[in-house]
Amino acid sequence: MTARPFRETRGVRRPPATGGWTAGGARPEAYTVSAVNAMAKDLLESGLPPLWVQGEVTGWKRHSSGHCYFGLRDRSAQIRSVMFRSEAQRLPADPEEGMEVRALGRLTLYEARGEYQFVARELEGLGAGGLWRLAFERLYRKLDAEGLLAAERKRPLPAHPTTIAVVTSPVGAALQDILRVVSMRAPWTRVLLSPAKVQGDGAASDLARAIRLAGRDGLADVIIVGRGGGSTEDLWAFNDEVVARAIADSPIPVISAVGHEIDVTIADLVADCRAATPSAAAERAVPDRVALARELNAAAARMRSGLERWVRTRRSVVERASEAMGRSMRRSTRRRRERLAAYADRLEALSPLGALRRGFAIPIGAAGRILRAAAEFRPGDLFDLRVADGSVPCRVAEAEFAREEE
Amino acid sequence: MDEAVPLERRMERLNAIVARLEGDQLELDEALALFEEGVAHIREAGRTLHEAELKIERLLAGPGGAVATEPMTDDGSRADDAGADRPG
Repeated sequence: MTARPFRETRGVRRPPATGGWTAGGARPEAYTVSAVNAMAKDLLESGLPPLWVQGEVTGWKRHSSGHCYFGLRDRSAQIRSVMFRSEAQRLPADPEEGMEVRALGRLTLYEARGEYQFVARELEGLGAGGLWRLAFERLYRKLDAEGLLAAERKRPLPAHPTTIAVVTSPVGAALQDILRVVSMRAPWTRVLLSPAKVQGDGAASDLARAIRLAGRDGLADVIIVGRGGGSTEDLWAFNDEVVARAIADSPIPVISAVGHEIDVTIADLVADCRAATPSAAAERAVPDRVALARELNAAAARMRSGLERWVRTRRSVVERASEAMGRSMRRSTRRRRERLAAYADRLEALSPLGALRRGFAIPIGAAGRILRAAAEFRPGDLFDLRVADGSVPCRVAEAEFAREEE
Repeated sequence: MDEAVPLERRMERLNAIVARLEGDQLELDEALALFEEGVAHIREAGRTLHEAELKIERLLAGPGGAVATEPMTDDGSRADDAGADRPG
């Protein structure tokens, strides 16, 4: 065996000059195995720049240390590869066997075994969505199998929350959007910010912590979890299992509001309600003050007509009883009726129905029917004339049909 | 009437009162008491509508799992920071 000249490379330890066979026939000095591997390692590491390698993943194994060991192969060759924990923990998912990937890394030599290997710093799945899609689908199937995505789990949102919790970045646009909408629609609302990191390393666990904090001790009536739009990678924390589980575990309903993307996130699917943007989430969370005012007016009108109907249907009974039992009972009935009129007046102030106060009166016949035409008044009939402060029992003397204008 | 009743509870109660008043199973005193209660709820809820100031607080996890809050201004900073920025 002849020593071949080493290629000129910078920074490589050259074999000492005495290496190789010498003319004098003296026994050459032998290298230790370690020295050879060290030289080979230097050569590999300095001889080639970082490179992208494309191939199929085979035998992917995530060691308990967090380091991932795998092979990259094509039809006729294979490279032993490793991805160390600090990089591997950023992967959205472990690739599947046979998945076509591109990896960026350097070649090195594992001296303990004398095997050369590729140390990958980045790894991307090829095909639609790559590893992101893969991670999404895996988690989707897992949560779906547990029933966490089921429509029956979705809870109704409170119609009139007193306090809403917002889990998002304290410095993001999402918080400002939510505050703007809430202060316009329902400024009486208390907003509790549960600040969280929404992207980058540690964002998922921080979001999960902030969601659990917001759900504690009946602090709030509903939670909005969200952030403004961003790339798939920016939004990735919202596809993390710990975030999904924190949402699923929340004792109060959760509205998700992740960006403006068309793609849904796992957080959207687990939440009780999904809004496309933080502003839309705020609109779902709180009622509009105009709608609330309408609701109050409607309640006032219904209370009023409910009470009026009560009086109409009961009066005849009360009056029969009062006649039978004498004047004292009649006085007490009158007192009650006066009290009722006083209550009705108080409601009048709250209600838009002020027609009676303006001098109109409503004749109410048997069974509480409003009498609208002269033909409905037959001489001798009893009816009540409803006026602003009460009601006047009347008897029809005679009825006259309206004549044409004279 | 307790003003601290949450709006959600008030509206639920109001809807229950309306439903009972629209039913026919009440004695007069009962109907009047419900009516009076309903009027009070409407008045208090109406007052809520005019509250203009949004209250924003930041949640803090305290020691031993306790939860605390501190007031915030709506630009996301702490309210006391904003105060400290003002001269004098």
